[in-house]
Amino acid sequence: MTERLDRFEQLFRRYARRIRLLLFARGVLSGAAVGALVGAGVAAVLWRSGQGAVRPFALVAVLGGALIVAAVVAQRRRWSDTHVALFLDARLDTAEAVTSALAAPTEQAELARALQERACQTLASAQPRRLRIRWLLPLHLALPVGLALGSWISVLPLPARASAPTAPGRELVKHENLSGLDRIEALERAPGLSEADAQRLRQLSRQAQKLRADLVRGLERREAQARAAKLRDDIAAEQQRFGDKAERPGVDAAVSALGAQRFTQAAAKALGEGDLVAFDAEMQALANQAESRARDAARAALEEALQGARDRGSKKLAALLERQAKLFAEREGNAAALRELAEHLKDKLGAQARRDLDELGASGSLEAQQRLAKAVIEALKGLSEAERQKLAEALGRQLSNGQAGNPLTAEQLEELASKLSTDEGQRALAEQLRKLSQSSPDAERERALEEAERGGAEAQRGLGVLPVPSPGQSGVGQGNAASPGQQPGQGNAAGRGGGAAGHAGQTPALHGDELRARAATQLLPGAPLATRSLGRAEARPGETARQLGTGNLGNVGAGEVSAVEGADIPEAYREQVGRYFEP
Amino acid sequence: MESFERRLAQAKLECERLRAAVSSVVIGQDEVVEQVMWGLIAGGHVLLEGNPGLGKTLLVRTLSACLDLRFSRIQFTPDLMPSDITGTNVLVLSGASQPERRFELHRGPIFGQVVLADEINRATPKTQSALLEAMQEHAVTIAGQRHVLEEPFFVLATENPIEMEGTYPLPEAQLDRFLLKISVRSPDEQQLQRILRQTTGRANAAPERVLGVESVLRLRELCREIAVADPVLAYAARLVNASSPEQASATPLVRKAVRYGAGVRGAQALVLAAKAVALLQGRGNVAFADLQRTALPVLRHRILRSFEGEADAISTDHIIQELVASLAIRPEDVERTIQEAG
Repeated sequence: MTERLDRFEQLFRRYARRIRLLLFARGVLSGAAVGALVGAGVAAVLWRSGQGAVRPFALVAVLGGALIVAAVVAQRRRWSDTHVALFLDARLDTAEAVTSALAAPTEQAELARALQERACQTLASAQPRRLRIRWLLPLHLALPVGLALGSWISVLPLPARASAPTAPGRELVKHENLSGLDRIEALERAPGLSEADAQRLRQLSRQAQKLRADLVRGLERREAQARAAKLRDDIAAEQQRFGDKAERPGVDAAVSALGAQRFTQAAAKALGEGDLVAFDAEMQALANQAESRARDAARAALEEALQGARDRGSKKLAALLERQAKLFAEREGNAAALRELAEHLKDKLGAQARRDLDELGASGSLEAQQRLAKAVIEALKGLSEAERQKLAEALGRQLSNGQAGNPLTAEQLEELASKLSTDEGQRALAEQLRKLSQSSPDAERERALEEAERGGAEAQRGLGVLPVPSPGQSGVGQGNAASPGQQPGQGNAAGRGGGAAGHAGQTPALHGDELRARAATQLLPGAPLATRSLGRAEARPGETARQLGTGNLGNVGAGEVSAVEGADIPEAYREQVGRYFEP
Repeated sequence: MESFERRLAQAKLECERLRAAVSSVVIGQDEVVEQVMWGLIAGGHVLLEGNPGLGKTLLVRTLSACLDLRFSRIQFTPDLMPSDITGTNVLVLSGASQPERRFELHRGPIFGQVVLADEINRATPKTQSALLEAMQEHAVTIAGQRHVLEEPFFVLATENPIEMEGTYPLPEAQLDRFLLKISVRSPDEQQLQRILRQTTGRANAAPERVLGVESVLRLRELCREIAVADPVLAYAARLVNASSPEQASATPLVRKAVRYGAGVRGAQALVLAAKAVALLQGRGNVAFADLQRTALPVLRHRILRSFEGEADAISTDHIIQELVASLAIRPEDVERTIQEAG
């Protein structure tokens, strides 16, 4: 290392220190500016994510980190003595005197001294303004901007946080009283076909009660929905269905037998539609009629239907028809007893009651029966002991006079008379009369299950589920439009066609026969599809070309063919279009 | 021993006197005179290229007169022989009674101190090589005997760029021996007026002697002492490297128009010439500006153009100027800080 002149050393070091300090400050400021911007950005991100408390610390931390990094980088980029000398030579226009003086050869002491003296003179006479370094850059404006921005963001109120979506299945639902469950719980009082059947209905009721209790406490939504769906499925399974392979032939035979009689055609329709409530009501109305011909025909048709079901092995249907036949006889007697009592109490009955008596005899109306029974009970209550006795005697005379033309049997008359003679018997008679218009256990059961099914759908809606239509009755549709979402029988949805050949193993062939619709329905030739179609029919003057047609689809086709003639279709295509609409 | 500063100051003074003396005779060629002095001080040889009548011979003669150096002129012609340059041994008879036969060396014009090799490109390569050998070795060999040429030995060769027919252009390897190749330009109008006034009037007085042999040798020695800082040396190396197309630092123009760049001798010549510049300015160190100033005369005859360069008529001067303009002198951060300071 050459021995430099002290004076040159002093001057050079002084300028070098100043230059390095300014460069260091510039580097640190640049880093601070960048850090302020980044810190403001981090604070903004934290503000957005709701981390309010951390914002100012994040800004300070990022800024501090940037300062440290900038200081380290600036220190690493510190100019060497040669760099400083080159800068001084360039700014002072010394023709590299300082640089040469700095690296003067040691073996040439004279030369070195001469160079350093010259450099010394140059540095001593240098004007400071010529050696200024631009340490403030446009980038440094980002420092106050970033600090201001970061500070503002740090005190900014946090945005309203959107509630995080709950994970599926984590949501708890609470219902104090979920609508629909009460109708399922009512299954506890529904009559069962057997003890086991009643037990199952009570079990369903208990499940609904348990679901209600759990919902009060709070239950996971998915679980609640699943339990409600299972309840509906269980209810549907309990409903009597005769659409399967085993029962279908029996149904056809029973419907055919009932449909053959004029009086029982409505009952046949109801049975064909699977509406046991309507079937029961029809049979009850027939049993109520005074006209023996209707009752005899109904009884005979019922027997024939029962036999047909038995012959075709439809056990469930046969059991139902057997119960219905027993009930028919019972209802006959009850209705006759009511009419008999009403006849004897005609003076005590009002005008409405007398009209109901007539109606009951004529049509077997259940409403008339209810009203008449009520009126007879009231009339019986108002009888004095002597009048009651007199009535009992009158019934006894009827018994002893024979039963010609009397719908009641001798046992029934005797029973009726004995009941009238005692208070307890009267109360029992009144109770019996009250129960006259009650449906059969089968119908009651079905009605309760239908109500429960509707209740289940309502409960599902209350839990946020769109209820899936319950499996429809086979054949000619449900006929019961109360259940939401239920569709008429869809028909056989067996697919046609198979997979494309030539996939060479890439795609397995699809066999259409394997595709089955959920509702395996069949069209009954004798029972028209309860639907409506919109088609064209022959236009008559004064009418529109479109008519709302109902009935079989086959009928619609004929109208469509005729409509082709009147439609605006080119002559060349009429034949083809007409063929398309041929039934 | 005098201090360096005194010697430097003295040298600067002497050079200024020499320049003034030569410029008083050779009008309008101040830059040429300056560059010739670079060659003289740096201890190299100079190739002058210019049209006839521009004062090349006058310059050399005047320089020789001012330096009180032995001047010799060699007019190169196609029939010039090497012995015409170097000299030869001549059989001499002496003594009346019994004549004595001996060989006597008749020295050729190469034994001068300032040798003007006029139209060197007219002589045959064999003859050229005799001169070039002497330039390199500072000695000649005649009949097996080596004769050292007296220092300072300074050759100024001229080339006539007009008459190229029947000439033998110097090969590039031989051109490399000249420290500088100076282009002598025609004087402008004002300079021509001065020339006319001076040369068509009364005969001028002969230029006076300014420097002697010792002074020239002292100048050369002092020139070698001039300091070159590392960054300046680095710049010289970068500049020469950038003239070679195979180097990474070569500019696109160099890659396109240059076949061979300047070599080591060119870098040496660049630094020596820059030292001479510094000495003439009375500085004890070489500056970046010195290198930039000497780049053209030092490198123009050392760069061989490619076919594309010749086809596109890209001169070596243009290539060197582009190199000097594009090459960074200082490190990037220092340059940036200097520019930011304004």
